[in-house]
Amino acid sequence: MQRKNIGIILVVSLVVFSSFSFGQDLLIKNGTILTVTKGTIPNGDILIIKGIIKQIGENIEAPKGIKIIDASGKYVIPGIIDSHTHIALTGTNESAEAITAEVKMRDVLNAEDRSIYTAISGGVTMVHTMHGSGNPIGGENIVIKTKWGKTSEEMIVHSAYRTLKFALGENPKRANSPAVGTLRYPQSRMGVNAIIRREFLKAKNYMEQWDRYLKAKKSKKPPKNLILPRKDLRMEQLADMLRGKMVARCHSYRADETLEFIKLSKEFDFKIACFEHASEAFKIAKELAEEKIGISVFLDNWAYKVEASEGIAYSAAYCTKNGVLVSINSDSNERIRRLFNDAAKAMKYGGLSEEEALKLVTINPAIQLGVEKIAGSLEVGKHGDIAIFNEHPLSAYTLCEKTIIEGEVYFDRAQYLKEREEMEKKKKEEEKKKVKKGGTK
Amino acid sequence: MKTKKNRLFICLFAVILLFTATSSARVTPTYAIVNCKIIPVTGSPIDKGIIIIRDGLIESLGPQGKISIPEDAEIIKAEGLFAYPGLIDAHTNLFLELPKEETRRPETMRTVSAEPQQKEKAQHPDLMALKLLKPKKTAVADLHKIGITTVLVAPERGIYAGQSVLLNINGEIAEPMVIKSPVALHVNFTTASGTYPSSLMGTMAFLRQSFLDTEYYSSYKSQFSKSARGLKRPEYNPFLEALLPYVVKKSPIFFNCANLEDIKRALGLIKEFKLNAFLTGANEAWRVADLLIKNANVPLLVSLDFKPPMTSIYVNQGEELKKKAEEEIYPANAANLHKKGLTFALTSQGLKKPDDILKNVQKAIKTGLPKEEALKSMTIIPAKFLGVSSFLGSLEPGKIANIILTSGEIFDEKAKVERVFVDGISFEIKKPPKGEKPSAVNIAGRWSATVSSAMGEWESTMELEQDGNQISGNISTRMGRWEIRDGILSGNELALSISATIMGETMDVAFSGTAEKDSIEGTITFMEWSMELKAKRIPDGKF
Repeated sequence: MQRKNIGIILVVSLVVFSSFSFGQDLLIKNGTILTVTKGTIPNGDILIIKGIIKQIGENIEAPKGIKIIDASGKYVIPGIIDSHTHIALTGTNESAEAITAEVKMRDVLNAEDRSIYTAISGGVTMVHTMHGSGNPIGGENIVIKTKWGKTSEEMIVHSAYRTLKFALGENPKRANSPAVGTLRYPQSRMGVNAIIRREFLKAKNYMEQWDRYLKAKKSKKPPKNLILPRKDLRMEQLADMLRGKMVARCHSYRADETLEFIKLSKEFDFKIACFEHASEAFKIAKELAEEKIGISVFLDNWAYKVEASEGIAYSAAYCTKNGVLVSINSDSNERIRRLFNDAAKAMKYGGLSEEEALKLVTINPAIQLGVEKIAGSLEVGKHGDIAIFNEHPLSAYTLCEKTIIEGEVYFDRAQYLKEREEMEKKKKEEEKKKVKKGGTK
Repeated sequence: MKTKKNRLFICLFAVILLFTATSSARVTPTYAIVNCKIIPVTGSPIDKGIIIIRDGLIESLGPQGKISIPEDAEIIKAEGLFAYPGLIDAHTNLFLELPKEETRRPETMRTVSAEPQQKEKAQHPDLMALKLLKPKKTAVADLHKIGITTVLVAPERGIYAGQSVLLNINGEIAEPMVIKSPVALHVNFTTASGTYPSSLMGTMAFLRQSFLDTEYYSSYKSQFSKSARGLKRPEYNPFLEALLPYVVKKSPIFFNCANLEDIKRALGLIKEFKLNAFLTGANEAWRVADLLIKNANVPLLVSLDFKPPMTSIYVNQGEELKKKAEEEIYPANAANLHKKGLTFALTSQGLKKPDDILKNVQKAIKTGLPKEEALKSMTIIPAKFLGVSSFLGSLEPGKIANIILTSGEIFDEKAKVERVFVDGISFEIKKPPKGEKPSAVNIAGRWSATVSSAMGEWESTMELEQDGNQISGNISTRMGRWEIRDGILSGNELALSISATIMGETMDVAFSGTAEKDSIEGTITFMEWSMELKAKRIPDGKF
């Protein structure tokens, strides 16, 4: 009992401590607030205290000394979430072997990747940065907030799902990237399926071996020469999948192999959170909805390789209407700055409502990443992760003006343009001086 | 006939080698260094002091009048000179000449099986720096010239690079130099080429797995030795055997940190596996100073290499900032760490030229690192880190006589190291010849040379380069291509130093003579042997 109490005190003190260092205070006034989950407030304020949204409404009284952003005439939306990208990393694939579940993107975060700045210039506040699609089973991905200028540790979102990258089709069989002088198993779609099944069978054996050991150890008369099994990090990761501690994010284009993978997940009882790219998802929308598996897609980008040839621009809207949880991802450090444009296209292709379209880049990816309690919409209690646009974010003419994470402004377009202008001015002056000096010589 | 002459020549050098080997038997005279300013590092300076060296140790030191000079001592007048403890370079790659790395380009299709590969084969934690040592006189002289008397020599390639050796640079033969071997296991956050791990994330997983495997291997072995009956015999694994002392017995592991994320990676692994580790490289250490303060128990070896890493925020925003980073921001690493109250040693790790060590210490001082700190960070601090401070790192009675005499305050741009003592053995620093004049002719180009001695004649080709009156180049002989260095052409007087490698041993031979536009004549001398050299210019275009 006493021990329990100590535990509780520790946890409480930890929470208190972390909330001290968490976020900033900020009041955003008079903006058109698109909450995504709770409708639109035409002339509203948002109060953020220590990084958390404390109040949303009209005419919120400003606490003394708080920083205020006047959002008159602007649109205030939840920070955009990119469900699938590869930014802020040193390396994407561990391609020397086909099964590399043991590698972790957390180990190779690079907080100084400029792509993070590109991301915040497009209102992105959170990304799921992933292992590449080179391996049937890649590595463990990580969810980070795009806190440009902060350390990699400060960026990590600890409450997100632990996700493991899987890949089917052309990429893991190395059809499009034949490494010089290397022929790696598997070389076919059936090989990809077989190797994943084989690895899960291995993981089951591994778990049984540990179970036997623990059981024997706990028994009244443990055998004299009981040997601790070897700890295998690759198997540990797959065991975590089978124990439900991790979810699968599976790169998959074709409908047939997508269904095959769902079968595999049932055979081994692991959870798939989301299929990536899924350009034939519209063919199996019903199955995906039934299994409650999401998809993370490009909106109107297809036919860039043979397995992507049957993609359509209507897929995101069609799948949404048929109950599939859809997000739009960038998979790139360029598209990441205009995900809101891609969301708007879902209104044109398939006729989603404004709110439905906006969900594709906010609350839907948040649900896919298991962070819907802290992000993805503007609600009291969630993190103050916000993007402010000069026009409606789904307008073709819109620009992101400010990106705020936990009440702290990380991107300010006006400020950036001012600094850039000053720098250019300074440079020109220096060049002039140089020319003058050269002249007198 | 010619081969016969060659053999004779080899014999000659064999005799010379034998002579050098026997002559270096340790008979160290007793010395009295008198009238110098003593900077002991651990105590207060003595303005006019005496240091007595006997049997390779500092017998006594103190102000004049308080120290009596033994009768048998050779007196070294050091009026106006400063005496410091020899500098310690706690991590260098300068001393080790590794064979050129093979660039593996498989010509045939390589098949990677579905089963995990034998990753261990690509790594070599068992590689001993000691076994690869081939000390060169020139390398020794280069370090002595800047006051370095002790170096930690480490292999540098691979994730598990190998194990280092600590040397007192007291001559040209490896074994007598060794203070300790092995010292540490060296780990780089790099990748294996063409095999697993081929990415940094793979490397991290590989490191973790190999630490776990070592622990497992150790516990299995100990269980087997306790009660073998009924247990399968553990299979001998040389890779894990090499890791055992470091992972289980906690001998030091050096993590080479090329950037600030590497520092965090290393600290993470140290914590996870309770390792006894050093951070080395770390030229971005100031950027994670607060984290380092929290981990003050991990010794910090800061490199004097100021080149920003590829991942740095300063290198991908234009040339201007990149230049500023290299010239101003990164040199201030040590100064910033000092301001934060961190203790560190300065090393030459990553530097390509010995001369850069001194230059870069001076740069670090310019950015605000106090001189005394710079001195400590190359003497007593590394000595403590490496566990040798009871006999190295400062001038105290009873410690090893590693002493340097300088013409001014150490690290001053004008100050020169005049003499060094290592293990009580005196080495005078060769000065550039006096009365240097501008060269009268330009002798750059190709030359055909004939060397004649009592044992016959010998043809060779020289390639010379000239920069002002400085001459460098090489001479191609039947026994290989030898480097020509430290050459000076003063008027028509030519002096060269040739690093000759014969039967795997390298020695310096001196040439002095005269040079005209198209002819060079003079004498090569080595100890009491001498040979005449006559060379004629090979006209351009003729080969």
